[in-house]
Amino acid sequence: MSTPVDAEQAWNDLQRIRVPQERVYDEIERSASGGTGAAYATAAIMWVFLVGQGLDPPLWGVLLSLAVYVALLSAVAVICGRRSRMRLHHSRCNRRMSATLVAGALVTGGTTLLSGHLAEGLEPMAAGLIQATASTAAFLLFIGPARRWAADSVRVGGRAGR
Amino acid sequence: MSIPAGFDELIHPATRLSVVALLAATEWADFAFVRDSLSLSDSALSKQLHTLEEAGYLEIHKEGGGRKRRTKVRLTGRGRAAFDGHVAALRAIVDGATAAQAGRAADGGPGTDATGAEPRQHHHAEAGR
Repeated sequence: MSTPVDAEQAWNDLQRIRVPQERVYDEIERSASGGTGAAYATAAIMWVFLVGQGLDPPLWGVLLSLAVYVALLSAVAVICGRRSRMRLHHSRCNRRMSATLVAGALVTGGTTLLSGHLAEGLEPMAAGLIQATASTAAFLLFIGPARRWAADSVRVGGRAGR
Repeated sequence: MSIPAGFDELIHPATRLSVVALLAATEWADFAFVRDSLSLSDSALSKQLHTLEEAGYLEIHKEGGGRKRRTKVRLTGRGRAAFDGHVAALRAIVDGATAAQAGRAADGGPGTDATGAEPRQHHHAEAGR
């Protein structure tokens, strides 16, 4: 049985495969550079949560606000998921994307702890406001460039033939 | 030359190959996204998707109703394996031809073009995924 394609056609097919996959990477980059609504919504929810924590609520208050915080973040994630037109396959996710996630948590968490420590001497309300504002600002400053940086790596990784 | 293992006649046609290549890079994709990315009509894409669905290469899920109705397309494990096998087969064909051409060049045979084969081999690593 002879092969149904010659080398030239096989080569053209391999090139053809790249075109739709580039469209996927375009969509990932478009989502990373746009979609600021979710970042602002997350930042606003985080700000309110941290201000609430600054008021030194009782344990039940902490747990209740934590539950509401997680529920609201989940709602944002669900809404974003519904709006997206595709999801990247997990095999295309790379170390840079994981590193961005960890770095984001470290930057935001670190800023929260540091600003909380620095504002310790102030009144609880003022300390909470400073801590929340500093943490939210750090999150917003980090998230935009980090998402674009991570999205760029998807195309590079795809071209390298992971 | 024999057919390399993994060569899949079902996903070999150009449109179907493009559809499967796009879906291979995603967990799932919206019907509209696939259609727009590949510049296909609704009917042309539907036809290809149903062919692939019947073969068990992909799953089609319809969500919501009315104006919010969405159709999500997902490549199955079988479809992903078939695509990977097909890409490997295409690479084997190209590699086989490149090796044969290099062999003829080394022998000094007629009609050899070793310089022509080199850039193709160089770019080969970038292709296909």
